Amino acid sequence: MRNLYSIILSITLLVGCGANNASSSESPQQLAGSVDPVQEEASAVDDDIINDILQSIPSPLEISLLIKEVGSVYNKADLNDPGRVSNYNTNFDKALNLGIYGTDLGYSNIYNKNQDALNYLNSVQNLAEGLTIGQFFDYATLKKLAESADEDLEALLRTTTANFEKINYHLREQKREYLSILLLTGGWIEAVYLTTLVHNRTKNEVLKEKIGEQKIVLDRILLVLDVYKTKNGFGELITDLKKLQSIYDQIEIETVYGQPTMVEKNGVLVVVDNTKSVIKISDRDIDSITSLLKSIRNKIIK
Amino acid sequence: MKKVIIAGIVLITSFFLNSAFAQCNSELYVNKSMKSLESGFQFSKSYRIDGRGGTRKKVEYTCVFSKDTNYQIRISGKDGSAQGLIGTLYDSKRNKMVSSFYNNKFLEGWTFKCRATGIYYLSFTFQNSKSYCGAAVLAFRR
Repeated sequence: MRNLYSIILSITLLVGCGANNASSSESPQQLAGSVDPVQEEASAVDDDIINDILQSIPSPLEISLLIKEVGSVYNKADLNDPGRVSNYNTNFDKALNLGIYGTDLGYSNIYNKNQDALNYLNSVQNLAEGLTIGQFFDYATLKKLAESADEDLEALLRTTTANFEKINYHLREQKREYLSILLLTGGWIEAVYLTTLVHNRTKNEVLKEKIGEQKIVLDRILLVLDVYKTKNGFGELITDLKKLQSIYDQIEIETVYGQPTMVEKNGVLVVVDNTKSVIKISDRDIDSITSLLKSIRNKIIK
Repeated sequence: MKKVIIAGIVLITSFFLNSAFAQCNSELYVNKSMKSLESGFQFSKSYRIDGRGGTRKKVEYTCVFSKDTNYQIRISGKDGSAQGLIGTLYDSKRNKMVSSFYNNKFLEGWTFKCRATGIYYLSFTFQNSKSYCGAAVLAFRR
């Protein structure tokens, strides 16, 4: 009798352990049992760190919306030509340019340039399919929303962002984080490049600060790129971005701390940050960043 | 003997059922949270909050926030609304900026008027949670 109790208890515990392991964070390979669990365990910490850094990189939309807010006019020539999509044949080029086209898609949407947005949507779809992640990109819905962007821009931008997030999430699930970082890097380079162009025309101080504060994002991007430095194409990209980082090293972000204040209004808590930061960036720094970023982008878009 | 076998089957079945309930489909709550964003705020990121049935006490994410930007967090979970879930923001020096557990209530989120560009930590914890499952979304407005 006692033995039977022991057997039942053992089965229960074993089943319990199995159920716990089948958590949502497991990769498809793990679930299929095709990956050595010990090996997976060993790399799990690194994956978490990489994923946290990837997740922390701000959406390029923050910059694109700012560019429009400062009153800049839309200039199609500033963006990458959607027709160049056939030039991108390796996964490295596809992922970087998927990021670039993603930013251009958001940018043309913000300015209600429906036809341009549709062209970028096609290029994005093309590259996503080339990377076998096309199934996570809801082309039909985005096309429909883009055609009526003037009616509900917020829905279009929300759906576009959610789609790119889904692509990134699935790349990480498939243990293809190296493509996810390229996608995010491409998106970031295009957003900052557009900011430098518009700043050059307008000399707007808000844009100048925005360029300066990218120091924090660039540091984070390089942390992840460095993990994959032995992969094809990464070496040159890292070298180029490190040159950019050395210019950014001259820029200071000074922070003066203060206690936040908060009010609750109709169940919504609003907190005002009383810590302030000043970004110290010279015109010379801006010129160096503008010129180097242009050459890095030119190499990528070919 | 029969009683013992039945007890065993009941135990195993209930464990399977519990495991099934313990699965956290965060995606559902991303959509719910997104719907509760204030108009004018642009969706930026979603965060999955899976406490793995209570084995994970904290789920934390790093964010880069920009000065002169308003950030809004909306939380929703399996226990209904933001019940049992707390979203807390810390600055780079780990000073607490804001928490969604306010005046003994689980608020659905907060709006943070950022004035200092830098790294922030968005930490999700559980209090009297039954499901340990939910999601949050981040949105911004200048």
